[in-house]
Amino acid sequence: MNSTLVMLGGAVGAMLRYALGLILMKRFPHPPIPIAMLFVNIIGSVGLGLFLGVLFSKSVNPDIYEEPLFLLVGLGFFGAFTTFSTFSVESMQLLRDGKIKKACIYVFFSISLSIAFFAIGFWFTLSFI
Amino acid sequence: MKKIQILTFLAIGCGGAIGTVFRYTINIQTVSLLFPLGTLLENLVGSLLLGFLTGWIVNMKLSDIVKTGLGVGFCGGFTTMSTLAADIYSLFIHSSPFLVILYMGTSIFGGVALAFLGFILGEHISLYYRNTKKEGEM
Repeated sequence: MNSTLVMLGGAVGAMLRYALGLILMKRFPHPPIPIAMLFVNIIGSVGLGLFLGVLFSKSVNPDIYEEPLFLLVGLGFFGAFTTFSTFSVESMQLLRDGKIKKACIYVFFSISLSIAFFAIGFWFTLSFI
Repeated sequence: MKKIQILTFLAIGCGGAIGTVFRYTINIQTVSLLFPLGTLLENLVGSLLLGFLTGWIVNMKLSDIVKTGLGVGFCGGFTTMSTLAADIYSLFIHSSPFLVILYMGTSIFGGVALAFLGFILGEHISLYYRNTKKEGEM
């Protein structure tokens, strides 16, 4: 049962990431840094923050890995919606092309904004809901 | 929507489901640790795999469905940025700044380095594979 929830959330998350990536790449065909996955990761991180804030304020199961909603939405959906492998490969490709400054900017913004937006989402729901 | 697009989405959905359940399986083995070792391993291995795939397609043709199913679906679902963000937040609040730096540094430098290693391996192995295949045909 738990695995089914995780797989369902993961499948939807991955497909939505692809769809949003296509839309973003169509709108911004030649970005200076790979912004499609940057946006996706930020949106997914704020989403996970909001979701976990709601989940924790409702004081659920102490074992989060036994909480069906966490497995479906938190681990499954938001986990698969965001991605780290594309981030690594895109950073590596910028470095290979000698675009060291762009690579540093991309790494810095991907990581710092994902953490910042997760925190904003988490605080927001903990404070207002 | 064209048939090929539907198939691409299905491949990504399947790859994403498998990647995510792999991530879940590793996470429940490592959940008792105070350090998010599971997510770290997943992100590092996933970076190596996607790097390999990216290098592989330099020399070998791969259908879009297989490529997106493995890359966007599996590797994308297996690795995660949102959990990394949550892990860093949690380490920062409940643990030491040392662990935050250790986790963040290993993820970033390890991820990029392994993506690079995967790319080189993929490029070389696919070239070798292509050449031996050609010799076999002659």
